[in-house]
Amino acid sequence: MNSLDDRGGHRVSLVGAGKRYGAVRALAGVDLEVAAGRFLVLLGPSGSGKTTLVRALAGIERLDEGELRIGDRPVSGPRTHVPPEQRDLAMVFQDYALWPHLTALGNVGYALKRRKLASDQAKARSIEALERVGLVGLAERYPHELSGGQQQRVALARAIVAQPGLLLFDEPLSNLDTDLRERLRVEISTLTRQSGATAVYITHDQSEAFALADVIGVLDQGRLVQLADPETLYHKPATPFVARFTGLSGELNGTVVGPDADELFVIEVGQWRVKARSGHALKAGDAVRVLIRPSATALAESDDESTVGTVSGAVIDVAYRGRGYDHVIACGDRHLTSVFSVRPWARGTQAKLSLDPAGCVAFPLNGEAEISYDKEVTTVTAGQEPAAINRGVTE
Amino acid sequence: MSTITLPAAARARAAAGWLRATPFALFWLLIAAILLVPIALFLAVAVSPRLFQQGPQWFTLSSFQAAFQDQMLQGIADTLMIGAVTAVASAVIGFAVAWVVQRTNVFGRRLWSGSMFALLLVPSYLIALGWERLLEPMGVLDLLHVPDSFARSLLFGPVGVMAVLTVKGIPFAYLAISAGLRGLGEEFEAAVRVHGGGRRAVTRTVAALLAPAIWSSLAIVFAESISDFGVASTLANDAHFPVATFELYNAVDNFPVQFPVAAAVGWILLAMAGLALYAQHRALRGRSYRVLGGRTRPARRRELSASGRIGAFSGMSLLLLLCLGVPTFGAISASLMQGLGTLEGGSGFSLDNYRRALTSPALYQPLQYSALLATITATVTVLLGLVVARLLTSKRGQTSARMLDLLLLAAVALPGIVFAAGYIFTYNLPQVNDLGIHLYETTTLLTLAYIATALPPASRVLFGSVGQVQESLREAARVHGSTAPGSWLRVMLPLLARPLLAAWSLTFGGTLLELPVSQLLYPPSDPTVSVGIENALSKYDYSGGTAMEVLAVLAALAVIGLVWGIFQLVAPAGWRRLGRTL
Repeated sequence: MNSLDDRGGHRVSLVGAGKRYGAVRALAGVDLEVAAGRFLVLLGPSGSGKTTLVRALAGIERLDEGELRIGDRPVSGPRTHVPPEQRDLAMVFQDYALWPHLTALGNVGYALKRRKLASDQAKARSIEALERVGLVGLAERYPHELSGGQQQRVALARAIVAQPGLLLFDEPLSNLDTDLRERLRVEISTLTRQSGATAVYITHDQSEAFALADVIGVLDQGRLVQLADPETLYHKPATPFVARFTGLSGELNGTVVGPDADELFVIEVGQWRVKARSGHALKAGDAVRVLIRPSATALAESDDESTVGTVSGAVIDVAYRGRGYDHVIACGDRHLTSVFSVRPWARGTQAKLSLDPAGCVAFPLNGEAEISYDKEVTTVTAGQEPAAINRGVTE
Repeated sequence: MSTITLPAAARARAAAGWLRATPFALFWLLIAAILLVPIALFLAVAVSPRLFQQGPQWFTLSSFQAAFQDQMLQGIADTLMIGAVTAVASAVIGFAVAWVVQRTNVFGRRLWSGSMFALLLVPSYLIALGWERLLEPMGVLDLLHVPDSFARSLLFGPVGVMAVLTVKGIPFAYLAISAGLRGLGEEFEAAVRVHGGGRRAVTRTVAALLAPAIWSSLAIVFAESISDFGVASTLANDAHFPVATFELYNAVDNFPVQFPVAAAVGWILLAMAGLALYAQHRALRGRSYRVLGGRTRPARRRELSASGRIGAFSGMSLLLLLCLGVPTFGAISASLMQGLGTLEGGSGFSLDNYRRALTSPALYQPLQYSALLATITATVTVLLGLVVARLLTSKRGQTSARMLDLLLLAAVALPGIVFAAGYIFTYNLPQVNDLGIHLYETTTLLTLAYIATALPPASRVLFGSVGQVQESLREAARVHGSTAPGSWLRVMLPLLARPLLAAWSLTFGGTLLELPVSQLLYPPSDPTVSVGIENALSKYDYSGGTAMEVLAVLAALAVIGLVWGIFQLVAPAGWRRLGRTL
């Protein structure tokens, strides 16, 4: 496709992508467009189809339906299937997939074979790639002689060494500990952007997605539910699923009192009134569910009862988080979690909670099928499996 | 009438689908030709002789009636007894060896475990012949004037047959039980001791927890013993002790040929193996033996006292001496003597027999022929075994993989002699000749039969290794620039080089010295090495036959050693490291 010196990412375009495994529909008509050089993160729970999608981009899986273009070239369609080695891409695998019979240098150099470089040139480039991930001193080591983080760095060097137009990442950080994840995330972000390649990265971790992405696509049951920049996704989630999967403090049921300024509505929630944003045409009397982001909550010191946007409840748990404390507050029959304060509030204390309308989103309750989670669920944190979410596990 | 015209895209897809499916269909065709059809047709003739012009009835059980009469019945009863006794004896000895090697600090643990593998590789007829050469009238001991009449009377009878088959069963029992012992952590033993149990209680508890391994050893040794042909055609035959496999051979090899009766014996042997597996299933049903987990602590070796170590070492040495040392001594000493088994025999040693074996075409040609066939068989079997292992571990084609797995498992349980009889029967059928297939008494048929018998164990050897290789390694090769064949060559071959060589070596050694299939299927002008040895022995050339036997074993070891030596010298460092690191 492009030569080694012709750097730059490929535009990726997917129309109506479908894939079945027997009775299971892994992808159900996904349309996706990624501009050249952009960093797309596909976010979704296990079984949402994100791995299938990235493997289809790689050419490891064949699509049953739809068309995929990388650059201007159709690589997958009803009569086309360009094999992986001809797609000018590279991939970082979840389990690293380093070849155990080759050294770190051998693994990295492998990716240069298709470039048909002279061996001294290939070696120089491989060493340069290892230098960029800080592993040049370990070039002659075999994979089993490296730590998990070092192995993933070798995999990263292997991916960038041939400067492909498209870089794919299949949950590359999921096997690493928290500290290492953060450091490698920064390296992935920096090296990928330096390379100029288009990147498609899949994860189930919303914090990873927000930290890395230019654009985030949320997948659910083989469908692309929302494709937007991180800020839009956080503040204007298209569905309750997207809101939940990108982090909530809790949910409160209520009734619309009436509209307020700027897409805001006043909503009566039990004995309280709160303001929330909604993209739906709500009218007075509509039953809604208000989904509250953790960042929208703050424990209020004042005793003022009547303020719109304030609710009250008992502190039932407090957890030290280093920079402050996270609290769980029981508001009526609901719990709001991850309520932050720099000082601890004792268990059993009655507290006031102010809710910032910018972090409260209301969805009509008539689409109950869409909001099918257990009523006990108040928070969906990244990393939870759907089964755990459905059981109502809160962490 | 209307015709349906497929759109071009659909036609192209269909053509591509056919193209992809063709190698798969060819593979299944080959499996059917070498495994499924010969066995199925042979077993069918037992109940429907007319189907194959072997009798007047479309359906009859008369062949089973014939199988349950006179000498045949005696052979079947003897086989059942041999199977039961050798299974228990091998399990007891195998358990003891496994315990000593795995759980004590006895001297020479590597030697003992290595000798178990050596014993596994030696064909049963070579062990039997080694003992026979020592103890037969005018044998080695007679010529050396060592009194041996009592030992001779024991060897040439049921005790001798069972002893040799027990020796062959010990490595199977050892492997099954030591695998179980390795997974059994020390916490179970510690729990017995802290709750007041003594050493006996510990042994009882461990034995109970090892029930799956012990039952598996019983079933394997039982199946191996009842299907054995090596001892049946040598020691048992010389001792006039009828066993089922030799009766089956007689029914096929003697005039008049009785295929239906032979097939009925085949059914009975299969049923016996099935019964052993059923007994194993019943014994373990409804219990859980999941003792291996992430928290399992490795068991500690028992520190034997000095006298205990010497005692254990002596016991193991004695066992090894009886199992391998005596037959090896018997074979080597016999090959160095002249006129063994005759009144002209003398006690002097010379290399004349080897000189003869290396210059007489009747003695060296079978070795050359077998070496060639073993090389072809090992190479083809390993390639096919790789395909089988890949199909069995692949996520795609689950139904066909299950069918293949079942077929191979059944083939493992099938006695080699039944296999060979199935080949003779099927490829001698007029219908097969009418199809233009004239393979009977050809090298091609013999090689196909070798491949068919070697494929199930070779696939099992490769199955574990292929299953261990993560699919992502090959996928990574594809996305980083390799074509499909390239990814196999550059990634899978290095990763699987050692298991492939191991499977090749096992198949080569096994085929070079193979007896039952060779005995029934060798082309008249080209005897194999095992047939050559038998021919020499049948002409009372005991010394020449034994020299040939020793040369064949040395040749097998030399070729296997050469192959591994080349691997060590030529293979890149990363390939060689894998065996140590995976």
